[in-house]
Amino acid sequence: MSLDFSILLKFADALALGLWMTLKLTVLCVVLGSTLGFLIGLARASENALIRVPASVFVEFFRGTPVLIQLFWIFFCLPLILGVELSNLASATIALTLYMGAITSETFRASLRAVGREQMDACTALGLPRRVQITNVILPQAVLLAVPTLLSNCISLFKESALVSAVGMADLMFIGQNISNNTARPVEVLTAVAFLYFVIAFPLTRLVTRVEGRMLRKLAA
Amino acid sequence: MDYTLDIGAVTRNLEPLFQGLAVTLQLTVAANIIGITAGFGLALLVLSRFAVLRVPAMLFVEFFRCTPAIVQIVWFFYCVPMLFNVFLGPVTMGILALGMNLTAFNAEAYRAAIQAVPKEHLDAGIALGLSPTQRVLNIVLPQALRASVPVLLTNGIGTFQQSALVAIVGVQDLMYQGKTLATQTYRPIETFTIIALFYLAVSFPVSQIVGYLERRRGLAVR
Repeated sequence: MSLDFSILLKFADALALGLWMTLKLTVLCVVLGSTLGFLIGLARASENALIRVPASVFVEFFRGTPVLIQLFWIFFCLPLILGVELSNLASATIALTLYMGAITSETFRASLRAVGREQMDACTALGLPRRVQITNVILPQAVLLAVPTLLSNCISLFKESALVSAVGMADLMFIGQNISNNTARPVEVLTAVAFLYFVIAFPLTRLVTRVEGRMLRKLAA
Repeated sequence: MDYTLDIGAVTRNLEPLFQGLAVTLQLTVAANIIGITAGFGLALLVLSRFAVLRVPAMLFVEFFRCTPAIVQIVWFFYCVPMLFNVFLGPVTMGILALGMNLTAFNAEAYRAAIQAVPKEHLDAGIALGLSPTQRVLNIVLPQALRASVPVLLTNGIGTFQQSALVAIVGVQDLMYQGKTLATQTYRPIETFTIIALFYLAVSFPVSQIVGYLERRRGLAVR
């Protein structure tokens, strides 16, 4: 068979539109999901079991099941339960936000733990009130420690966002698959789609490595 | 909500779900066997001194880590038969696609574990007059392999969850059977909830084991 990558030029606009949708969805869910994850992370560190246990169940559920099922569940079941129509974008945003919230809460929890016990003891010794302990000592360090993992989570979410094509949302993957089915040229089109994902995700992974290196040096100093 | 739950619609049809689970487990186990063995080989290539070996290995790893798994799977199912003129069964194709993805992730895990062995240990080996082979076999590998176990397990469950993606290309795994059942019975809530619980029932115990291993390791290092 002969490959003809020039057909991609005809579909450049459509692919760009899909990529734009993927990026929009990713950014939206990163912002909402990180906020949710931060709150859940705090809830999981709570001393009150009524807050801690539901938060833990939520996280285990979302980390323990495939994202595809979560997406299907929200797409097909949530409208039935709520009795309202949800747009594709709304369902996809809810699903990916909850997923991002679950993985990010683990990141925050780990970084909250990584702030040494000594720091807390020092706060107590200095007689700092609880609120100051949290906002001025623990949180700044925890957020800083969480940055590299948070960035990796963003990359994961960018990749997972391709799943929304399975429920018919017109993201990069969906448009790519459509073009490939209509032109019967899967090799060219799907390779181009993979390449587009790659050129965005790859520089981000390099960035994570660099940020991590800088953080390690900073913490060592 | 004007929707009455009827779990019976699902529990009367558990047979196809169990068949699907068997396919899912088969995909997971086979992909893990590929990932754990080939991943180690690939990690050695990534750490190689020779650029001829190192660069292609790194490209392989980065490609799989930086593109969505669903793109890889769809690509594999559509393009491999066209490009190489090979036609394999859907389950075999699924195993190969998932296995290659896991190989890349496991190679990273092995690489990180090998590089995490402190330089002092190697220096000590040199000071004791151990040969390079002895240093690798008796100092680096035992520590690196032990350190990589939790990550390998986590990646293993990751593959278990990603295996649901093969439903999109028509492999009759748990997700596929669940989707079919939901359409046939018009019972999406019951069906999707129950298959989600199926997945959870497998991955939750494994993630607890990982947590236990990590805690134990944390204590041992301290």
